[in-house]
Amino acid sequence: MKLEIGKFFVKKIEFGSKTGYANGVLTINKEEALAKVREDEHITEAELHIVNPGDMVRLVPVKDAYEMRCRIEGAKGVYPGVTAPLESAAHGRIHALKDASLLVVGKHWGSFQDGLLDMGGEYQRNTIYGAMRNLVLVADTDEEFERHEQQKTNHALRWAGFRLSEYVGECLRDLKPEEMESWELDAVNRRSESVQKLPSVVYVMQPQTQMEVPGFNTLIYGWNANHMLPTYMHPNEVLGGAVVSGSFMPCSSKMSTFEHCNNPTIKRLMKDHGKTINFLGVIMSNLNVVMEQKVRMAIMVAQMAKNLGADGAIVAEEGYGNPDVDYIQVLVELEKVGVKTVGISNECTGRDGKSQPLVALDSTATALTSSGNVSQLYNLKPMPVVLGELESLARDGLSGGWEGCVKPDGSAVLENNAMFCSDHPSGFSVKRCFDF
Amino acid sequence: MAKEIERSGLPITIMCNLTNIAKTVGSNRIVPTFSVPYPLGNPQASPEEEWAMRKHRVEVAVEALQTPIEEQTVFAVKK
Amino acid sequence: MKKAILYLNQFFGQIGGEDKADFEPVLEDKPIGSAGIFNGIAKNVKIEQTMICGDNFMASHTDEAIERCLKLLEGKKFDIFIAGPAFNAGRYGNACGQICKAVHEKFNVPVITSMNVENPGVEMFKRDMYIFKGGNRATAIKQDMTAMAAFADKIAGGEKLLPADMEGYFPRGIRHEVFLEDLGMEPVMACDRAVDMLLAKLKGEEYVTELPIPKQDLVPIAPAVKDIRKIKVGLVTSGGIVPRENPDRIESASATKWGKYNIAGLDKLPAPEFKTIHAGYDPEQADKNPNVVEPLDAIRALQKEGKLGEVDDFFYATVGTGTTQGEAARMGREIAADLRSRGVEAVILTST
Repeated sequence: MKLEIGKFFVKKIEFGSKTGYANGVLTINKEEALAKVREDEHITEAELHIVNPGDMVRLVPVKDAYEMRCRIEGAKGVYPGVTAPLESAAHGRIHALKDASLLVVGKHWGSFQDGLLDMGGEYQRNTIYGAMRNLVLVADTDEEFERHEQQKTNHALRWAGFRLSEYVGECLRDLKPEEMESWELDAVNRRSESVQKLPSVVYVMQPQTQMEVPGFNTLIYGWNANHMLPTYMHPNEVLGGAVVSGSFMPCSSKMSTFEHCNNPTIKRLMKDHGKTINFLGVIMSNLNVVMEQKVRMAIMVAQMAKNLGADGAIVAEEGYGNPDVDYIQVLVELEKVGVKTVGISNECTGRDGKSQPLVALDSTATALTSSGNVSQLYNLKPMPVVLGELESLARDGLSGGWEGCVKPDGSAVLENNAMFCSDHPSGFSVKRCFDF
Repeated sequence: MAKEIERSGLPITIMCNLTNIAKTVGSNRIVPTFSVPYPLGNPQASPEEEWAMRKHRVEVAVEALQTPIEEQTVFAVKK
Repeated sequence: MKKAILYLNQFFGQIGGEDKADFEPVLEDKPIGSAGIFNGIAKNVKIEQTMICGDNFMASHTDEAIERCLKLLEGKKFDIFIAGPAFNAGRYGNACGQICKAVHEKFNVPVITSMNVENPGVEMFKRDMYIFKGGNRATAIKQDMTAMAAFADKIAGGEKLLPADMEGYFPRGIRHEVFLEDLGMEPVMACDRAVDMLLAKLKGEEYVTELPIPKQDLVPIAPAVKDIRKIKVGLVTSGGIVPRENPDRIESASATKWGKYNIAGLDKLPAPEFKTIHAGYDPEQADKNPNVVEPLDAIRALQKEGKLGEVDDFFYATVGTGTTQGEAARMGREIAADLRSRGVEAVILTST
């Protein structure tokens, strides 16, 4: 299975008469792009903006982030099972805009899973998107049934993001990439002896799937991953667009669609493959609601890892609180069958830092990576430009906001919980918790 | 909270779904419940089945208070 | 220049040895003993007064000793309180811990002490103050005092304080997030830190977890009741079941309040008179039938069958989502005291 990704490094985004890319400049025909967004009649208002690192701009409520890419070979579109016919995402060729992303922001209304991000100032560094050139879609919808709900599926906006990212990415189809990367892994039992001798490692993903109601969970090839038992996947499927982010997890814990397509843990394991490890692939798990489901899932992950011949596993959890039980359970079951584990998750230690970092703990979890503190308090100064609506943070039940947290001068106090993807459990986080 | 009640010397049974959390926070007598939002309910079952499940698990909780234990114990319940 | 007060025992306060261990507290208007080391290092803070108390006096008359020490400090202007170093001296460690805790509670100033890892005072007090990792014996006095002075100096100068391991004190059970670059560390991504940790673990090499699992705080198992039919049982829930009007205004998340509600004569919790205010789960089923969270109907049935004796006329309720452990523990203690005052001898708690 070989997946090639041709890279185009964006140095500037501008609006112009023709959507295209040349010499680092991405040009967007606004009208054409917005027409793509409005293909869904539920979109009532839509506008595009460009933001760059260092711009004193605040975005809220951010719904999701996307890589702008197109499929050259292999499947027929970027997100098989979601925007494209069902085909394997694991092989073929993709062209992608790098150092750039598409961010989708609600014009007014936020929800539990939405976040805030700053392109400049003290908190620019809290998300990887603060260091990228971003095309920003700010839009509203007529989804009245969830207008005042704290939990929103955000369907129209999220799907507008898929369409728009594909529309922009399409301009790369006939261009020659500035750089190529190639991702390839042989079948686990067809590897050379020298590779087989290395310690074998699996990557266990636990994307957010805890909503019983449809429309909120992470999708795997378009399938609600709540309705799934752990399964084995080729890493290229994740990089190739088989996994898209849901609309439920409090935002700092979120793995965005962009992050699935660029999962840095997978990339690191692929790069180490054949050198220091034998990377067996991805065990795609999920996060569950009741104890019995959690235990069943963990046993199946451990069984699969063991029988693939894993010596070690990296486990990543998209969430905190209740899903910590799934996370710890998987670590415990893996260790029980002799697979050595390392976990990646954030913590929730309370504003005073004194609460138990994960709701479930176990002494066998001896090697954990920490990616941030959900309840860290941030004091945001006013920003000259806000895309979206700042008040949504206080009004609409965003996970780290509350009534009164936005001040009339445009400053705000919030918990990291509402900072868009800032704990990056996908692996990008350059912060962690320390004991004080 | 359960821990502080037990620390005062009162035996306490904690009925919850996520028994691992109860164990982590140091509860000693634990009885599993059916789910998180309706610990002792089951909207998918008939009213009779739901009642039988609730009564059974509460009875196990009562029994747990009379059961001497040596370590943290999750008491078994019928399906 | 900020002011510090130093606490010493009879020996380091130059009063005398074991025969003076009952020495009663005094506050001297001068730096004594190792205060000189401190004042030679710190630029922003100076020890101008020294408090001395015998270790035995503090150990055997703790309340009185603390009270008298605090009285001596009343009206004195000081910004930081230093005690010890106490090395591995058990009584001295206890004294430093006791006085630092009391001074912090009363005057709300930073308190700093130093003990050896073996000193029982570390386990007793590390959550309440900065305890620097000190030497085993008094020969370490210079380096232990130097460490405290350097740290006090940072506090006095308003400098950013680093994590416990970097500063050199025992972790206080407090965890905050920090960007690696702010500590002068390479900004290594979590994925690389994780893979590197796994490689070390697989090779059997040393690695350091970023999230040490705290030691579990187990409670002694309360003995089982002999005959449940002969005692009074209490009901408690953290599932937020309250009377419709929520008379105690219990918060629906991060609760700081609890309530108790009369159930005398009820054979179940009626809806809509009772409902849930818990924001952490879907309330539909609990609002329809509150007994799925607080199973009074099943309790009454067991009473009728003679499997259960008396049940208290009140059930206790709060909300268990987002509630800090500190608040939960306080409410637990208050509820326990109330239950006991009502003659309850065993408890069933339901949680969502």
